[in-house]
Amino acid sequence: MTTSIHQSDSEFHVHHDSDAAVGRRERLGVRLLIVADGSFLASMIFSYFYLRNLNNNNAWLPKGVNHFSTASAWMVAIPFIVVAIVHRFGTYDKHVRVITSVVSVLVTLVGIVYQFHQMSHMPFMAHDDNGNSFFNGAYATNWVLIAGAGMFHYLLTFFIALGILIRTHTTNVSPELEVWRQKTAQSWFTWCAIAGVLTAITLSII
Amino acid sequence: MTTLDTPRLNARPVPNPAKSLITKLNMGTGVVVGAIFAAATYWSLYSLLSTYTDKVRDPLTSVNDNKILLATMFMWSIGFLVGIGAFIGPWRWLIGKDLSDEEILYMAGDGQGWKRYFKYCTDHKVVGMQYLVGVMVMLGVGGTMAMMIRTDLAHPGAKFLVQTVYNSLVGLHGITMIIAMIIVATGPFGNFIMPIMIGAYDMAFPRLNALSWWVLFTAIPVLCSSWILGGIPTGWTAYAPLSVQAGPGMNAFIATIIIFSVSTAVAGMNITTTVVAMRTKGMKWNRVPIFVIGSTISVALAIPAFPTFMASQIMAGLDRTFGTGFYETLQGGSGWLYANLFWIMGHPEVYVILLPGVAIIMEIVPVFVRKPLFSYGAAVAGMAGIAGLSVLVWAHHMYVAGWLPSMNGPFMVTTEMISIPTGLLFLVIIGTLWRGKPWMKLPMLSVFALIWNFLIGGITGVYLSDVPADNYLHGSMFVTAHFHYTLMGAALTGAIAGLVYWYPKMTGRMLHERAGYISFWFTQIGFNVLFFGMFIVGAEGQPRRVLDYAALYSHANLISTLGAYSVGIGMIILLWAVIHSWRHGKIAPMNPWGAKTLEWTVPYPVPLTNFDELPVVTSDPYNYGKGVSS
Repeated sequence: MTTSIHQSDSEFHVHHDSDAAVGRRERLGVRLLIVADGSFLASMIFSYFYLRNLNNNNAWLPKGVNHFSTASAWMVAIPFIVVAIVHRFGTYDKHVRVITSVVSVLVTLVGIVYQFHQMSHMPFMAHDDNGNSFFNGAYATNWVLIAGAGMFHYLLTFFIALGILIRTHTTNVSPELEVWRQKTAQSWFTWCAIAGVLTAITLSII
Repeated sequence: MTTLDTPRLNARPVPNPAKSLITKLNMGTGVVVGAIFAAATYWSLYSLLSTYTDKVRDPLTSVNDNKILLATMFMWSIGFLVGIGAFIGPWRWLIGKDLSDEEILYMAGDGQGWKRYFKYCTDHKVVGMQYLVGVMVMLGVGGTMAMMIRTDLAHPGAKFLVQTVYNSLVGLHGITMIIAMIIVATGPFGNFIMPIMIGAYDMAFPRLNALSWWVLFTAIPVLCSSWILGGIPTGWTAYAPLSVQAGPGMNAFIATIIIFSVSTAVAGMNITTTVVAMRTKGMKWNRVPIFVIGSTISVALAIPAFPTFMASQIMAGLDRTFGTGFYETLQGGSGWLYANLFWIMGHPEVYVILLPGVAIIMEIVPVFVRKPLFSYGAAVAGMAGIAGLSVLVWAHHMYVAGWLPSMNGPFMVTTEMISIPTGLLFLVIIGTLWRGKPWMKLPMLSVFALIWNFLIGGITGVYLSDVPADNYLHGSMFVTAHFHYTLMGAALTGAIAGLVYWYPKMTGRMLHERAGYISFWFTQIGFNVLFFGMFIVGAEGQPRRVLDYAALYSHANLISTLGAYSVGIGMIILLWAVIHSWRHGKIAPMNPWGAKTLEWTVPYPVPLTNFDELPVVTSDPYNYGKGVSS
């Protein structure tokens, strides 16, 4: 391989590459992690429809067992959609970012509380002879995993939204890099909104 | 244009509170904090759950104990990462006080000597060496288990091991070796060598690079704990509902896979981003060394594959602990759900293992034949084709399970189609060798070994992809021999070739050549004796994973066991050569093989930032015999 010395336009370490180079790289990395998360989501949706169509023992939703309403599935998705839209407005303007970040944090908190409330009031639990609780039917089984994944998305979104809020006041990173990081966060928020909609559609087909 | 900021390289940590915390954390503090987290979790959950359980219960069989054990294992992992300082970066990001230049430099291990190998060090060379040692330990443990299995199978009658221990050994050997083989090439060489090969200062995400290793590290004691907890009775595939009903040792398997999947996703993302975004100027895609292409395709394939494995194990964990019924027919679940999720990961995973090993061989051949790589495009197309088809073949593992028999035909076709891109790889290797005069040094021997082993592994794979033949051979020793020829005979042979080839760059010394030759012949002859015999007994009907067998198969099994001992001797000699040469080997020149890729342009020890100034690439890496480079 023939080489010559290149007077570097980036510096000695990742931290010293140009802001745009670092920013693009971080966004690509996050998008690849979204691919992994998307694969996990696809596994859950596959499980949901596979067991629904098998309906082994007629136990997808046994008689007399309640389920969550379609509306409740969409209620979980709405905060994600709001955060994704609101964040977009604050990407380039630091002053607007304070307001959008506060809104994002609060909306995410509402989502966390709502998801937690759902998980603590599941209508399909039953108990065996030994007193151990179990999920009555495959719908219930799949619901709890999807809800858990939704909670994971909420917690990570909350962490990022809170970080963005705090960093509007205190950060020692260049403004340009910070804008790139807003774009990177936007990738995650947009994905969470898409995932929220996909799970809402899934859970609407009972 | 700017030049390298040399004074920064010599910067030393300046005292500040956050810095002092970083300096105090290491593997020891990680173990202590991890143990505290684990103990606190165990104690508090045990107390809490016992409060609600008014009956006397067997402490290691109830649903509650599965909850306690799984939570303890995950908290060990999280605690260790807290204790070693993995979360300092995210925390500092959250509060808006990003790490300073000096802190970044400290985390890169600047001026810390051997101690940096026991810290949350972000230098990709350090991470590569950590992976190398970790892989060698895992291969040693897995190989020892293989020796025990073969010793038991040397004669019919099963006098060496009892059934439960044998079952656990088979499962643990399988999962230990699978994990080791997934990281055997992309771990050490993908981290140490690959960034230098593409002319990068570092990996794209140095902190995540360290995270991928240390997360994996936390899985090792978790997997080992399965011994104390009664072992893994299911084999490495851990089919449900067997895994749901298995004893507490199964929790260790589940936790290990979930932790490992996180590590793999992070590592895959990091390597892919590095190759896509950090290639030096002039390194167009058609100038990227073939090992880098192979590794990138491999890890890019792992990114979507392993989350399905993770999902399958989370579902098994939930079934065991919270009363869900993913795999419980009575609750509307299905064992086939597990089989599908497992093999949707499981077959791409074979190529995640295989591709880097074959790519190493394709990297080595032009160097030792002094000819350009024959049809670089075919090599890339072959690997990409294999990766693309690998996600469409998973159900060939389920022909005889009865899942969707009408799909057996299509899956047979897609599986057999993989022969085509695989044939391209053979074409490239043989085409490069054709009419060449190989320089028969140690790495070159592995090229011929791989051609032989991979050919046998590949051809027997065609038999197994065929539905009628698979109906007969499924579950037999024939299958065991086939995948060992592929994973060990091809992928591990390629990885060992990589170790010998890059050993001078990684350690500054040449590997003990005579020991290397002896090891090679012991290993390769033993390997073929070991597994060729298995083809014969498998074709005659000996089932795999079974402790005892009919006297009919005794001679072939004894020969196989003798072959296994030969492999063991070969591996011990290689281990001795690696350790001995590390300290006492001949000092290596900067480019002992006369290769043209960028890693050979940097001295040993490789500087912290690899290059004084970034190189510019002006030609392809295999332009041997095309005149003198300018």
